[in-house]
Amino acid sequence: MAKLKGLVVGLCGLVLAGCATTPPSAEALAANDPYEQTNREMLRLNGKIDRYFVIPTVGLYFLVLPEGGRRGVHNFLGNLALPTIFVNDMLQGEVSRAGKSMWRLVLNSTIGIAGFWDPAAKIGIPGHGEDFGQTLAVWGVEEGPYLVLPFFGPSNPRDATGLAVDTAIDPTNQIHIKQHLWWAGAREYFTLLDLRSQTYQTVQGIQRNSVDYYSSLRNFYRQFRNEQIRNGRKQALDLPDF
Amino acid sequence: MRPLTDMAPTRRALLSATMFVLPLLAAGPAAAATNPAESFVNDNIQKGLDILRDKKLNTVQRRDQFETLLLGLVDVRRIALFTLGQYRRSAPPEDIEAFVNAFKNYAAAAYQSYFSKYTNQTLKVTGSTQRTPTDFIVQTLLVDPSTSQPPAEVDFRVRTDTGKPVLVDVAYQGIWLSLEQRDQFVAFLGQNNGNVRTLIAHLSELAVNLGKPT
Repeated sequence: MAKLKGLVVGLCGLVLAGCATTPPSAEALAANDPYEQTNREMLRLNGKIDRYFVIPTVGLYFLVLPEGGRRGVHNFLGNLALPTIFVNDMLQGEVSRAGKSMWRLVLNSTIGIAGFWDPAAKIGIPGHGEDFGQTLAVWGVEEGPYLVLPFFGPSNPRDATGLAVDTAIDPTNQIHIKQHLWWAGAREYFTLLDLRSQTYQTVQGIQRNSVDYYSSLRNFYRQFRNEQIRNGRKQALDLPDF
Repeated sequence: MRPLTDMAPTRRALLSATMFVLPLLAAGPAAAATNPAESFVNDNIQKGLDILRDKKLNTVQRRDQFETLLLGLVDVRRIALFTLGQYRRSAPPEDIEAFVNAFKNYAAAAYQSYFSKYTNQTLKVTGSTQRTPTDFIVQTLLVDPSTSQPPAEVDFRVRTDTGKPVLVDVAYQGIWLSLEQRDQFVAFLGQNNGNVRTLIAHLSELAVNLGKPT
């Protein structure tokens, strides 16, 4: 799976390199989005994949699995991500958050039966996200131009690199068992189902409210990532004046 | 058993602490008094949520009451001009005025659409940050009593430079709405040769669609 993701990221680079001959508009350059036309094409492709493949299976997922079961799947997938979150907490010097991640992993993997339940949250250790893209940002790496990756959606070179590194350091990807491809494929598929089932209404709302869905999504992604990088700490002084 | 002489310093410490703490406790209500921006958010946003969840109102009444409340609280003109970005300087004045009106209808419909998702929730002001003497960010939590999910963080940007507090932006989980709208509008105008009339037509169409039931 790590090789597959690496291949996808590499393909993106090739596609973007191929499009570099088309001069970007002044607005695209001002928005740090020199590959806007390619990105818009990619968003259309992702939209088709979402519409014809992902959404129908999300519907099926809702039909087959009741809410409690879906929550269990969400918890289980979150638990699988905890080793990577722990490593990134440490790399960012967030020792307290790293401790929380470790406690969550221990409690939820044991009392929470392989992570299907979340007893850690019940005793006041809620989950948090962290990834190598955020770690790079904390280390001072700039995000680079906006990208829309095939299948993965909004990103940038920093986050795409982070995605590849997170995949490489994920312990479950180090297990070379015969069924690894099935395991990794199923995990990615359920991660997609889980994500889409949770964001379905939000995305629909953005599409409905948007004058330009592409730039709306681009702005949401950037603001959302900045919020994640700050770990929710407010930066009221950075706002523009009205 | 500790001798009485050892107890004396402890008792003195307790007495001193009480002397310090009591005035603080007495000053509690004054310390908890909020600034004008916090009071403004606390008093008015819950009113909006109450209108949206009032089952006695029909769709038209709900929309009209919400719109009246909203337009009294929000500085729509200021937001509209901000969202035009650099095109504010190049657009003809009559187009700007038409845009402000179209934006007013769009904002009312869009805000109603956003907030109607949170009608079962209650708003709790948790604090505020003062950016400048007349620019505040009021932090709130939207608490949903029916779920164990953590409350959503919603921030309101309030300006007081016009004499009374007005709302100029809102952020859900750290994502500011006006910043997102400005990016969209500027991108749209960039694709349409900066023609504000095209944006006005598009916004008017959106406002009508947002008013329709989903």
